[in-house]
Amino acid sequence: MKGSKYPLYFAFPALAVFLLFFITPTVIGFYYSFTDWNINADTISFNGLDNYRALFQEPRLLTAFKNTLIFAAAVTVFQNVLGLGLALILNEALKAKNFLRMIFFMPYVISPIVIGYIFRAIYHPSNGIINQALNSVGLGFMAQDWLNDPKFALFSIIVTDLWRVTGFSMVVYLAGLQFISKDLIESSSMDGAHYWQRFRFIVFPLLAASLTVNVLLAMINSMKIFEMVMVLTDGGPGYTTEVFFTYIRNMFSTGQFGYATAVNLMLFVLVTLIGVPVLMGLKKREMEY
Amino acid sequence: MQTEKRSRLIVLEIVAFALAILILIPFFMILVNSFKDIRESALFGLGLPSAWKLSNYRDVFEQANILRGFKNSVMISASVVVCVNLFASMAAFVIQRRDDKFLRGAFYMFIVGLIVPVSIVPTIKLMSDLHIKGTYFSLVMYYTAVLLPFAIFMLVGFMKSIPRELDEAALMEGSSYFRLYVQMILPLLITVLVTVTIVVLVSVWNDFFGPFYLMTDSTKWTLVLQVFNFVTLYSTNWGVVFAFMVMVVAPVLIIYLFLQRFIIDGLTAGSLKG
Repeated sequence: MKGSKYPLYFAFPALAVFLLFFITPTVIGFYYSFTDWNINADTISFNGLDNYRALFQEPRLLTAFKNTLIFAAAVTVFQNVLGLGLALILNEALKAKNFLRMIFFMPYVISPIVIGYIFRAIYHPSNGIINQALNSVGLGFMAQDWLNDPKFALFSIIVTDLWRVTGFSMVVYLAGLQFISKDLIESSSMDGAHYWQRFRFIVFPLLAASLTVNVLLAMINSMKIFEMVMVLTDGGPGYTTEVFFTYIRNMFSTGQFGYATAVNLMLFVLVTLIGVPVLMGLKKREMEY
Repeated sequence: MQTEKRSRLIVLEIVAFALAILILIPFFMILVNSFKDIRESALFGLGLPSAWKLSNYRDVFEQANILRGFKNSVMISASVVVCVNLFASMAAFVIQRRDDKFLRGAFYMFIVGLIVPVSIVPTIKLMSDLHIKGTYFSLVMYYTAVLLPFAIFMLVGFMKSIPRELDEAALMEGSSYFRLYVQMILPLLITVLVTVTIVVLVSVWNDFFGPFYLMTDSTKWTLVLQVFNFVTLYSTNWGVVFAFMVMVVAPVLIIYLFLQRFIIDGLTAGSLKG
């Protein structure tokens, strides 16, 4: 084999750390999810499918499941639509485009926990700047208790996350746009293609690789959402904004370790069941273009 | 035609600036409120403080052990940056070049790690079984394990664009594989390594999840965990809380403003090669 002289041991440090600190807990987690491991028990014993039976009868988990999916779907769609829109605008010959790109990416470098606290102030029912602004322009009837009203709480978290991540998608789409030759665009507009047609048939298909990266990352990361939900609503009001990781944290803090691990495994299954087919679909689409 | 094009650009510029203001307002809000007194800051307004209170910043220094948190964050982030860059570049080098069954399997395993959520409860158990729970080492290893997949994914993608002929020439001249890696490959990987460094720094510096679960000893808390704890304790005085936030956000933003060229270019170059 051509490369077989390259020393295998170069891969060992990475493999060792990854196997020990990532794969091992994942695998033993699989075992723990079939045990009654909890804070009060002296020994950990196997209890078969008990955790899973309990888990599927738990309405709170079903709510977390539903919310995680809604959150992930909404963030993935809007992050991509808005990110692509921004990228198209900032790919034009605007004077301030570098400055603007810098601004839009800025939230991405801030801790989600700090962003959560900032938006808790922004959403404050009486003093928050959103309701203040609505009141001052005579739209006071639209003012809401954004985080404590079950109708709006999840929506408010989605908006906050979009504020944070849209700039990231923008950068990846901008990257894709750099690879599209100017000649192609010019010759198509010579042929009389309108902006929309040009976007639909030339620009968008050539962004296939950026779309794959963006959709996949948005989906995976949004299914793992935790800090922001914890700080903004902590799963409330009631359980209307509960997601997997807030539920896991709750089960962990009440000492139900085996059960919490089973919930973690359900998240694993969910991410894999959705992530892998989407990845394969997007990759196939890339090749077809 | 020309004027039509120019007016279109002006409209786009206005739209873009309007959106940029939406991004900037929250930053502005914490900044002005960090100078307000207890009553005024609780109103979360965008107006300038009626009296500028610098004492909020002094209070943070006095109450929050912010320097200790800063030191912990710097130390942990720096260690993870070194481990991830070193281990990932070594692995990516042979994964891409050897391309045998074993390493292809290893590569897929890393890719799975890119998707799979961390199993946090068993991780805590593992750390305590290994008697390293609550140490800096455990947190550095946790982050390294979590961030290696991303780094390897980026670096293997980039390795493909470095011609093998280069290796052959170097080996022909009697260079060892180790020298080939250090003197030829590493310098060529530098743009991706800069991107990896920035992504690792941002992820570790801003992370709450890791230290929340793995660090019980408050003397080893990172800045972000301190913010969380501080808000829980002092949320009655938002001026001080916002001052703390400004102090946590400022270093990241300053680094970002200096490096943003590399970040945006690096993501541009790296993200689409894999």
